[in-house]
Amino acid sequence: MIVCVAVVGHQNNPLYIQSFTDADDALKLHHIVHCSLDVVDERVNNPKRSGPTLNETFLGLLYPTENYKVYGYLTNTKVKFILVTTDLDVRDVDVRNFFKRFHAAYADAVSNPFHMPGKKITSRTFAERVSTIVKSFGFSSAG
Amino acid sequence: MGREVSESCIDSLLTEMVSTYCNRFYANKPELAARRIEAIGYQVGHQLSERYTMERPRFSDHLEAIKFICKDFWSELFKKQIDNLKTNHRGTFVLQDNRFRWLTRMSIDQSPENGASEEPSIMADNKAVQSMHLYFPCGIIRGALSNLGIPCAVSADISNLPACSFVVRIKA
Repeated sequence: MIVCVAVVGHQNNPLYIQSFTDADDALKLHHIVHCSLDVVDERVNNPKRSGPTLNETFLGLLYPTENYKVYGYLTNTKVKFILVTTDLDVRDVDVRNFFKRFHAAYADAVSNPFHMPGKKITSRTFAERVSTIVKSFGFSSAG
Repeated sequence: MGREVSESCIDSLLTEMVSTYCNRFYANKPELAARRIEAIGYQVGHQLSERYTMERPRFSDHLEAIKFICKDFWSELFKKQIDNLKTNHRGTFVLQDNRFRWLTRMSIDQSPENGASEEPSIMADNKAVQSMHLYFPCGIIRGALSNLGIPCAVSADISNLPACSFVVRIKA
C-alpha cells in the first residue's frame, strides 16, 4: 500500500507531498522523504557505482526502513519523485509503471499556465489523478 | 492523448501576439516588448521541455541536451530537425534552420520594383519587425535549456531568410 508520494524540485524544494494513510504520521513521512533526497543525490553523483544505469530516470529502491520501502525517480529537469510504500512484495515493473503515469500527470500539471514553476502544485485535477494512480497501484498484477 | 490545433491558428496567434505587444502594450518601447515576448517563450519552453523529455534517459552533458533540442524538440515543435549545428566547443552553439516554419509566411520585402534601391531606413524597419517575431522562439529555446539545467542566452540571426540561425551562449 502506498503511504506517501512526493514531488521535489531541483533545489530540493517540495512541490507536492501527499500521504495516503489515515494515521496522523504525515510528519514522519515528510521526514522519510527528506532523508531519501540525500540518497538520490548520492546515486546520481556517484558514477562508479551506477554503471550502465547512470542516466536512467528510474532510480529504484533507495533505502528500506523497517516498515517502508522508498523508491526514487529523477526526471531530466532534475525533479525528483519519491514513493513510500509499505508493501513487502513490490514488483519493479509496477513501480516503473507508477512513475511513468505519475510523470505524465506531473507534465500535465506543470503545463498549466497558472502554475508558477518552483511553487507548489495546487491543482485539484493533479491531486485526483495521483489518487487514481495510487489506488490502482499493484492491482494490475492481480490474476 | 493527441489533441490538435490548426497550424494557421498558431500562426495567427503568434503574429497577433507580436503585433499587440509591439504596437499596443509597449508602443514606443521595443526593448520592453521584446523582453516580454521572450519571457512568454521562456515559460512555454520550460513547460514543453518537461513534456518532451518524459520518455528519455537523462542527458550526460550539454552537447546531448543541445542535440535533443536540435532533433526531438525541434521535430515536436516544427515537424523537422535543425539543419545545421555548429559549435566553437567553448559554450557557443549555432542552430541553423534553413526554412524556419514560423517565418515561411512572412514576406521578404526586398522589392526592386522602384528601380532605385530600397531606402536603408525602410529596410532597417523591415528587419526590426522580422526580428521581433524571433524573440518568442529564442525564449522557447532558452526556457527549454534552463529547465534542463543549462542557463544560457539565445539570440537569432536572420541575415538570409527564410533560413534562420539561433545562437546559444551557455553561461559558464
